[in-house]
Amino acid sequence: MKRAFPSTALQVLALAALAAAAALLSNAVAPSNRRLAWTGAGFPSAASPAPPVRPTSTEPPVAQPAPRETIPLPSPTRPSRAKRSESRRLPDPPAAAAPQAGPIREISGQEAWDAFQASWPFLDARRSAEFAEGHIPGAWSTPVWEADLDDRLIFFKAARRPGPEDPIVIYCSGGDCRDSHLLAARLMREGYGHLLIFRDGFPAWVAQGHPVDKGRP
Amino acid sequence: MRRWLLHPRVTLAARLTLGLVFLLAALPKIADPPGFAKTIWAYDLVPAWGLNLLALGLPWLECFAGLALVLGFWVRAATLWVGVLLLAFTLALAFNLARRHPVDCGCFGQAAPKTEAARLTDMRWSLLRDVGLLLLVIQVLAAGRRPERPSS
Repeated sequence: MKRAFPSTALQVLALAALAAAAALLSNAVAPSNRRLAWTGAGFPSAASPAPPVRPTSTEPPVAQPAPRETIPLPSPTRPSRAKRSESRRLPDPPAAAAPQAGPIREISGQEAWDAFQASWPFLDARRSAEFAEGHIPGAWSTPVWEADLDDRLIFFKAARRPGPEDPIVIYCSGGDCRDSHLLAARLMREGYGHLLIFRDGFPAWVAQGHPVDKGRP
Repeated sequence: MRRWLLHPRVTLAARLTLGLVFLLAALPKIADPPGFAKTIWAYDLVPAWGLNLLALGLPWLECFAGLALVLGFWVRAATLWVGVLLLAFTLALAFNLARRHPVDCGCFGQAAPKTEAARLTDMRWSLLRDVGLLLLVIQVLAAGRRPERPSS
């Protein structure tokens, strides 16, 4: 059998080199929402999202659980808002209600709505394209998987100046979406201690008929 | 039987099929590396430092290997790459299926969100498809090994 030039082994290597060169080039010219940092993102593993998340039930009671229909009305949410802004200054929630306190906690749609009314900052962890299609009004686009996450977080911090105990609400698309957990884990490492994950995320927000904004931030 | 299996037309069909499948699989991933990184992360097999390297490089490797197979240059090397990649995909899917860790295949880019049961079903089909493609790889490699290569 006549040996082709270059030899098969060389061809194998050449294909890999071609791929590496193309990847380098395409990543260099890609827009920020399509780019990746070459070094790993440093996320915890998918099977075990590391930080302990307090379940919703440990939340100190939020006024009366208002029925879904009355959610858009301001009256039932106002007292709870007052109560929450009080409680957030306390270093620890009541020990009976929260046996293991953690900086990250999952919240329900009602609590997210209360937080929205209280104009707490919302971070949208989904892809920037999804954000452009629709997001919670006033939310900051902080897509965990895109290369400019650092810049976007710096921008958010510069604008809102959140202290380590100030509440930050994080959401993605609900269901088994882990993006908001990844973002929360990252912010926790940066020293933020009051991170609220809106568990059911944007689909639930839309389903409950809450306001939605479109377009880029 | 053996002659039929290694017939040049069968080899040509296998080569083109493999090449087109890999090209089609590569394009959506090349267009969206962050989405592919997320997919790989969900498999929970790659260490964090290797995640982005793989998400950036792998689609281009698929693309060039597919291109070589479709255009018919460096066929043996490209087939070897395709074989290695398919083997890795098959093992990754099989491992996650065995531990019942549902993942999106991500083979052809991002998919719509699914339930876990639907994911596990899809993983079985993807596994079957990968095994089928591996058989094509074996055919192309076996046909290329024959010393007397009929020209057609």
